[in-house]
Amino acid sequence: RPRHPGTRTMLPLLLLLLATAHSLADKRYVPTLATSPLGGLKTTSTFVLEQPRCAFTKVQSDAVIWLVVAIPEAVANFSNSVGPGTPERAFQGFPARTHAYMTLNTTLRNYPCPKPPGEITVLRVGSETSCATDETRPTCNGPLLGPGPYRVKFLALNGSKPVAETAWSKPITLKTALPPSSISATGSGRSTGMIALTSILSILFAVLLAGLVAMLFFWGSHARGSSTFSKPEVVTVRRYNTHHVYDQPAARL
Amino acid sequence: MAKSDDTCILQGPLVFGNVVIGMCGIALTAECIFFVSDPHGLYPLLEATENDDIYAAAWIGIFVGFALFALSILGIVGVIKSNRTLLLVYIILMLITYAFEMASCITAATHRDFLTPNLFLKQMLERYQKSETVNNNDKWMAEGVTKTWDKLMLQNQCCGVRGPSDWQEYMSAFRITHSDADFPWPRNCCVMDAQGSPVNLDGCKLGVPGYYNSNGCYDAISGPMNTHAWGVAWFGFAILCWTFCVLFGTMFYWSRIEY
Repeated sequence: RPRHPGTRTMLPLLLLLLATAHSLADKRYVPTLATSPLGGLKTTSTFVLEQPRCAFTKVQSDAVIWLVVAIPEAVANFSNSVGPGTPERAFQGFPARTHAYMTLNTTLRNYPCPKPPGEITVLRVGSETSCATDETRPTCNGPLLGPGPYRVKFLALNGSKPVAETAWSKPITLKTALPPSSISATGSGRSTGMIALTSILSILFAVLLAGLVAMLFFWGSHARGSSTFSKPEVVTVRRYNTHHVYDQPAARL
Repeated sequence: MAKSDDTCILQGPLVFGNVVIGMCGIALTAECIFFVSDPHGLYPLLEATENDDIYAAAWIGIFVGFALFALSILGIVGVIKSNRTLLLVYIILMLITYAFEMASCITAATHRDFLTPNLFLKQMLERYQKSETVNNNDKWMAEGVTKTWDKLMLQNQCCGVRGPSDWQEYMSAFRITHSDADFPWPRNCCVMDAQGSPVNLDGCKLGVPGYYNSNGCYDAISGPMNTHAWGVAWFGFAILCWTFCVLFGTMFYWSRIEY
């Protein structure tokens, strides 16, 4: 089939246009975990997000920005038109009854752009424990029950109409706590110092005992040769002689 | 008693040796009393591990020190008088004291090896702020551990054994009564003001550097315990080496005394 004469130039142009459009669409703000070093960035039931500063540039300043937290399976067919505070978006039903909830609402005025340098601008997801089981507070920022993963995005509502949204974040997985019984507290084995100390002391003690035995034995054989035992109160001497010196009873008495 | 030249020469060094033993005995007693008095307040941690034998070693050290002092006096008298009886008694009692001190040194050195970070970590997780205690002993140990850790974290500005992440990586008795969102780590891990309340509670919960203690307490525990164990073990070892020489010389002296 003969090709259209302009195909050669049109096809690459079309591809270029598609690529540009795709990358433009991806320039939306992606919610991330907080960038400053925080010890509690992710705990077993909370995590800390960077505030969406300079994320909503074309939205009027009295729009309300909501945080949407969802399980990854709900991202594909998530509907922006389901309002916050409804049972489908209630925190208390997450993740058993609903797959997403909305919380942390605030006006855009609270996220001024640009962010002042040096300030820590974060949102802690999961910090409200008092309303976690209170069904009358469906927009509660309660602690998450499992390690996730979760995906979040910010949604700007004007009244009840969604006007803007950010992209979905990458999956965020929280920490899992291991039981303390998994810690092996057995000793680290014998240190060299302890082995050296024990062996040297044992050898020295053995030498001393050997010396004591040699001393008493030497004394015994020495005593056999001597003839004067003039100290009656030296009880050990007499007893020793009684055992060994059989043939000199006269000298003893 | 006749004295040969050998004995005359030996008398001086033996008396000197016994003087040194006497002084070392007093020093050993003083050192062991210091350790037993637990100036850093770490004894409840050891008591809860049911492995407090380095304290037993220090107790033995107190009595051995006294014995060494008393026996050194006996030894000096025996050497100067060249009295065989006295010296024989001296040698035998010294050998018994030697055996006890050897036991103390080996106990201190061996049990120090048991005190690893994991041991303290496990004990902290299982007993700190434990509320459902099964019996009186358990309750006593839990209270001891809780008080000690609270004091430790406050005074040394530290948190956990390796760091605050200990409270996140493992389940604990503390976690059962304190929710993770309100207490990612105990309150004492927060930087406190002069009145004893956190400077910035939200900053502490978030883990902002400067508002919580990010270093672990293991150094604050192992430092004093190492000093304690090595002090008892190696000072005792040094005393025993010196005592070995003196005893050997005394045995030789004894065999050279003529009646």
